[in-house]
Amino acid sequence: MKAGDGLLQIRSFDRSLLIPRIRSKIPKKIFITNSIYVMKKHVSILGAALLMALAISSATLTSCGGNKNGAAADSTAATTNTLTGAGSTFVNPIMTHWAPEYQKSDSVTVNYQAVGSGAGINNLIDHTVDFAGSDAPMNKDELARAKDPVTQVPDVIGAVCISYNVAGMTSGLRFSGPMIADIYLGKIKYWDDAQIKKMNPGKKLPHAEIFTVHRSDGSGTTAIVTNYLSKVSQTWKDSVGEGKEVKWPNGLGGKGNAGVAGILKQHDNSIGYIELAYAMQNSIPYADVQNSSGNFVTPSVESAAAAASAFPMPENITSFITNTSAPQGYPITGFSWLMFYSNGPKANMVKKFVQWVSTKGQDDSKALFYAPLPQSIASAIAAEVQSGTASAASTK
Amino acid sequence: MAGVAASATIVAVTALVFVLLYILIGGIGSMNFSIFTQGPVPMGQEGGGLRNAIIGTLILISIACVIGLPIGILGGVYQLETNTTFSRTLRFFTDVMNSIPSIVMGIFAYLIVVLPAAEISPGHAFSAFAGGVALGFLMIPTVMRTTEEILRLVPVALRDASLALGASQWRTTLSVILPSARGGIITGILLALARIAGETAPLLFTAFGNLDFNVRLDRPIDALPLNIFNYATSPYENLHHLALAGAIILLAIILVLSIAARWALKGQLQD
Repeated sequence: MKAGDGLLQIRSFDRSLLIPRIRSKIPKKIFITNSIYVMKKHVSILGAALLMALAISSATLTSCGGNKNGAAADSTAATTNTLTGAGSTFVNPIMTHWAPEYQKSDSVTVNYQAVGSGAGINNLIDHTVDFAGSDAPMNKDELARAKDPVTQVPDVIGAVCISYNVAGMTSGLRFSGPMIADIYLGKIKYWDDAQIKKMNPGKKLPHAEIFTVHRSDGSGTTAIVTNYLSKVSQTWKDSVGEGKEVKWPNGLGGKGNAGVAGILKQHDNSIGYIELAYAMQNSIPYADVQNSSGNFVTPSVESAAAAASAFPMPENITSFITNTSAPQGYPITGFSWLMFYSNGPKANMVKKFVQWVSTKGQDDSKALFYAPLPQSIASAIAAEVQSGTASAASTK
Repeated sequence: MAGVAASATIVAVTALVFVLLYILIGGIGSMNFSIFTQGPVPMGQEGGGLRNAIIGTLILISIACVIGLPIGILGGVYQLETNTTFSRTLRFFTDVMNSIPSIVMGIFAYLIVVLPAAEISPGHAFSAFAGGVALGFLMIPTVMRTTEEILRLVPVALRDASLALGASQWRTTLSVILPSARGGIITGILLALARIAGETAPLLFTAFGNLDFNVRLDRPIDALPLNIFNYATSPYENLHHLALAGAIILLAIILVLSIAARWALKGQLQD
């Protein structure tokens, strides 16, 4: 108790050591402990903290609008020149390209955070963001909760890979849609099942149990896969169905693409689904999938674009584009959407951004393993964005 | 018994060393000057830094301190000085608050700051301030509890001496009890700071994150834990390393805070 010992030594009080405010409150003749000296130090620490707070707030005031907008931008300009978006992790990589590009062309700052499709839609409903990104369109419930009319338009096209971890298989396994459904349903239990063997002649498949991996979080990727499986397998449609989250018959869930990839890596003889960009960047093997024309198609930017081109627009602008009829189209392909309030306070700004995304923004897409939107969709978006009636219709 | 205790210590220390080694080995390679001067670059491109996140984290911690410390310390003093049903109830709720998952505090800040802000200016609801509120409230129970416990350790003789000299109860607390317990209180604050500095969950829907550089309190702001979380789950290898570098910086910030506090208290710490 070093400080305590000192406290018991009573000293005469030197008033000059105190800051004026305290000095005035203490009578001239007083005996006081040296804790006052300690307190003086205390006060100086407090003062330092206050100064720091002041420095922060003054920095805040002087740098309104962020450094990129330049010193001229005032605070009102900063709020009107920013678009905040949240949602799908799937579009996040290309969003990080779009944000600086769009700022160059329109001096509007776009801040997009990948919180997940479901969370993004909830944020839009709460109107805490200007737009949301989602790999599944808003359903009736969500549109009803949003109260105001919402416009939904596609921004990119992506493919979902069926990935696997089987010893010795680095690429080129082949699956059909119904087979994938049966594997996830647990009807096909072993890698050397007669059906898989028949489709993959010449491959040495082990007699090992198939371990299925799916997404544990509410995910647009899951929505695309389950939508596809419901189209190709009646049993799947009846027993599991489709959605951002479904009741999986078996297997293990991982959070996000990274979670699924992690489980795939750890478990031999596993199968799972992840986005094309993720599989490509991390060299995870993925399968060719048989489409409705009977061709085995490797997931790629080109096969995803081919898949989308088979759908008439704009009827399909807010629907899934899985199980394409295009002969070279990859069947597990989907849109990612941007959604915003058609008549919101910043509707015009968002509309401008969306139109830029559907035209100039598409240049960036291939390098990041997205398929660019076909011209037909870009013009459908332009029409959708411009007509108020179309956006009202899309809420139903 | 000594053997069991020793092996428990070894297990704990080994785990800690492994975590530190993992972070250091993975992250040290991507530690360079540009990490401190650059903001994020588009995904898939090389380079990029954590400047926005580092400054964001410092600002968030500052706001949290401004909100959390006065309430926490004064609350602890109140619980010590008064012994009423009210203060006992308060203490009980502080204990409950201590074990509340941090994400709940995030939801709390979302409800009291973000949603009302969305009412006023739709689309501009997330803010550094909201993040600071979430972290600040997360600090309060820890600071309150440690303050009270430490103040209890101050000998009664000191209090008696002060009161006997004619000081009022509040003068005694402010000038005698609090200063002599300073070391312990600062330790409690550091514990609370270390806890909040690494929190991701309460920031997800309050501070939100920002691709752009921002120091304004009414705008979304980036933070190190948010970046670590986003980068670690991204498809890109260089971002994984950036996430580990972020973890090193976060550790360093906490270390510097601790050392600074120890230095400020040189000679004041109770042994």
